[in-house]
Amino acid sequence: MKSTFKAALAAVIMSVGLVSGPTAQAGKRLVLPDLDWTGAIVTCRTIQWVLENHMDYKVKTVSMPGGPGVWEAIRAGDIDFYCETWPSYNPIKSEYLEEYGGDGSLVRIADTGIIGASGYFTPRYVIEGDSSRGIEAVAPNLKTVQDLNQYKHVFKSLESGDRGNLIACPEVAWLCEDQERMDGLGVDFHAQNMGSETAHWAEMQAKYKRGEPFLAYAWAPHWIFAALDLVEVELPPYDEAKWPATNWPQDICFKFGSPASIEKHPEVVALLEKHRLTNDQQAGMIYEVDVNKRDVDEVVAEWMEANESVWRSWLP
Amino acid sequence: MRDPESSSRDTLTSGLWPDYRHWFTGAVVLLISLVIWKIQGGETVFPESWISAFPFADKVNEFDKWMRPVLQPTTRALGAGVTWFYEYIVDLLIFTQWQIVLVVLVLPAFAYGGLRLGLFAVAVVGSWLVLDMWDAAMETLSLMCISIAFSAIVGIALGIAASQSDRLEMITKPILDTMQTLPAYIYLIPAFFLFGLGAPGAILATVIYALPPIVRLTNLGIRQVPVGIGEAATSFGATTIQSLTKVKIPLAVPAIKLGVNQTVMMALALVVLATFIGAPGLGEIVLRGMQRLNVGKALEGGLAIVLMAILLDRVTYAMGRDPQRTDQGRVQIFHLFPQSLETFRLIRYIESLIDLVWRQIGNAGRAVTQLIALLPCALVRAYDADMGIKIHKLLLRHAFLIASLVLISMMLLLDAYTDVFANFPKAWEHRFRTPVNQYMDVLVTNETFYAITTGIKKGLYFGLINPLNTFLKGLPWWYTCLLFVGVAYLVSGRALALITFVGLLFIGATDLWAFSMITLSTVTVSVLICFVVGVPLGIMAAYSRAIDGILKPILDTMQTMPVFVYLVPVIMLFGGGQIPAVIATVIYAIPPLIRCTTLGIRELPEEIDEVSHSFGASVIQTLMKVKIPMAIPAIMIGVNQGIMMALAMEVITPLIGGKGLGLEVFIGMSTASIGVSLQAGLGIVLLAIILDRISQAWTKTQREAMGLS
Repeated sequence: MKSTFKAALAAVIMSVGLVSGPTAQAGKRLVLPDLDWTGAIVTCRTIQWVLENHMDYKVKTVSMPGGPGVWEAIRAGDIDFYCETWPSYNPIKSEYLEEYGGDGSLVRIADTGIIGASGYFTPRYVIEGDSSRGIEAVAPNLKTVQDLNQYKHVFKSLESGDRGNLIACPEVAWLCEDQERMDGLGVDFHAQNMGSETAHWAEMQAKYKRGEPFLAYAWAPHWIFAALDLVEVELPPYDEAKWPATNWPQDICFKFGSPASIEKHPEVVALLEKHRLTNDQQAGMIYEVDVNKRDVDEVVAEWMEANESVWRSWLP
Repeated sequence: MRDPESSSRDTLTSGLWPDYRHWFTGAVVLLISLVIWKIQGGETVFPESWISAFPFADKVNEFDKWMRPVLQPTTRALGAGVTWFYEYIVDLLIFTQWQIVLVVLVLPAFAYGGLRLGLFAVAVVGSWLVLDMWDAAMETLSLMCISIAFSAIVGIALGIAASQSDRLEMITKPILDTMQTLPAYIYLIPAFFLFGLGAPGAILATVIYALPPIVRLTNLGIRQVPVGIGEAATSFGATTIQSLTKVKIPLAVPAIKLGVNQTVMMALALVVLATFIGAPGLGEIVLRGMQRLNVGKALEGGLAIVLMAILLDRVTYAMGRDPQRTDQGRVQIFHLFPQSLETFRLIRYIESLIDLVWRQIGNAGRAVTQLIALLPCALVRAYDADMGIKIHKLLLRHAFLIASLVLISMMLLLDAYTDVFANFPKAWEHRFRTPVNQYMDVLVTNETFYAITTGIKKGLYFGLINPLNTFLKGLPWWYTCLLFVGVAYLVSGRALALITFVGLLFIGATDLWAFSMITLSTVTVSVLICFVVGVPLGIMAAYSRAIDGILKPILDTMQTMPVFVYLVPVIMLFGGGQIPAVIATVIYAIPPLIRCTTLGIRELPEEIDEVSHSFGASVIQTLMKVKIPMAIPAIMIGVNQGIMMALAMEVITPLIGGKGLGLEVFIGMSTASIGVSLQAGLGIVLLAIILDRISQAWTKTQREAMGLS
């Protein structure tokens, strides 16, 4: 008896479908990654905003940690485009992109406009002290990474034991190779992953607030440098042969996709080729999202409406 | 002549020996372990040559690379089919006016659970609108519906097949047993690598994960049909197929429905978890919220999931009961509030009013059905009077269904031709994430609060986790192996010892020894805390009705909640790290311990009280000396379940900073290395199987020793 009820309900639902019907066209659908750091999320959402509001696309986002997983997903056709890749974090590029000697199963489209820089930082009060807060300089001679060993007791934590603690790259998928870098440089530090970008910044801010010494990984463009007074601990200059025991190179970020998606969505590719975001533009939006805790979509929509000339120039 | 003193000492020691044998052997083993640990010094290292001789992850990755081009076209095509189906349903739910979807969703609750459940359904579905999570909720619901439909079809078919063939049952039973010991997350790994991100992988994993209860209960339901009934059917000339479909399966329907009810809860848990492989829905809101430390958002998402879980549980449970006749006049008025409140006149008025309205709606529904029934019945009656009356009766019996269909069709027509249905008003939307976040900011920066949480964290770390960790990591691997194998041999026998040995060797040879020891210490500490907190709670609940009354609904809700909702309060109060991971595990794994303890003490025969009382024992003495020892087998079942749940949690906690094998699974997944995640996943499964079998075998010997069966 009740199965008839169910069958009838199903029939009703189907008839609802026939009446109202799914409206979005199948060809105008796109899947973009929703990556795990605010900068890339902002970049993707600016593209998504134009696609949805001015090109009639329906965009689905998939939450994913940035890294090889996304590359594989794009190659397999689960995701269409990657909005902001930092080349030095993605050794997998040499497998798939022709520019880096790969087999061409993925294709580079255009620069994103973001120029990234990464490194290790410590608060200024650690080196110079801060008399107004009553903080003494605990590592006055700290300039380069090589100086860290003599101060490792200063930086030790619950989990690092006798070694110094580095608040390292928060996500394993990013392949920062912090521990390898430390070991390669002969620095006796333990790389601690906080697990998420937000936890990473929260940990840094909490330690700063308490005036505790810390050494942390950070990258620009980012608001953290405006919020905290940080000094870079110098790494030896970038050298491909010694990687990862060197600094990161400058990251000219770019967008890429699979040949199939590129062929299928020529208008999207045209948009991606023209789309550019500067470091400053991105940093402003990151600040709104991270510090003022506003909704990403809201922040991006507001920025887009205020900068119509910028996104008009992206339109194919 | 014997010295009387020595003989009395003899009897004394021999009397002590059986009582304290376990303690004594335990102490000796611990002492030996400590000595060996001290001699070893530093972390144990599994022989490098063994590890390099067994490059499991590399081989799997190679195989995967080779396999992908061969297999992927097929799996992807299949995935695309599932995706199309899924998106069709989601679009249907999202693009249809919310009022219509709401009505379609709450009607089954009214139909099966009556007014009370119906109103609850309205509140739940309404909450998704109010929290502005409509789309996400629809996505989760669609994933659920598809997975459950597939799971039910496959599961019932398998269950029927197993009920007909003893050999098939023999084959499926151990497979189902193992499936139920595996942590849910494990199912996502192969699904992810075969079907990729998003809905298809999630659906496939859920279908498989949710199968066991329905196969089991269908099989059981059919097998439990009394032999006489089957014989009667045969003697009336029914074929095997006929007696199965016409007699046995209908009789097994209640069991099958119970299976579906359990399947629903498991499916929801995994669908939420599948967020890790990019499945959309409510889980994503929670995950995002946690990653961004937006506790308010995670809490909102968690609340929506919990409400969905409770609703689905109640509705499928109501479906399994005898249908509530809504079309028969009920004398009893509707009770919305607890009985105790009914002394207030206002409450009574409100209830009578709702009841009145509900009856009028019922009458209206019947009137509409009568109206609709009029024409076809008149037509049929013109040919065959009997048939006409039958159809009329049939239609009236389904008055609710027909009235609902009329209502929905009317709404659809109205929506198609007029603008009466507006979008959900923005003003009605109410998010509470901002106040929650503000409150959290204040709380977390509060010095006292910081001191308390850091105190707990430090205490747990230095008091339990760290020492145990160093100890387990420091014990030579061969010694740990020997210990486990020895225990397995003693409690069960050669087979289990062999499984244990091979399992531990696999863990060592894949270079996961240190990680598995971290996992082992986390699980041990978690279960220990569960034990220390849960057993007293269980005992109190066994003695006091009041405490039981408070605990029961809490435990019920806890057991219907999807796993990673538990992370939200923990990350709120303790932040991230290894200790918060332990705390989350404790919260997740404690219900079975409390339950089993209460049950173990309650199920003891009442005479025990009288007997021990007549021997002059006080209540406390009866409890400590008689009841608790007798309840140990039951408590051990709780411990066993607790261990399994703690291991399942291992794979979830890396999200808030957990370490060990679970983190390795995570790393493998996010760096697209199936080999790494598979070997770590297998490591967890092996640990789960070893610990499960050992503790079960031990419980069994205990029960036998006490003469319980």
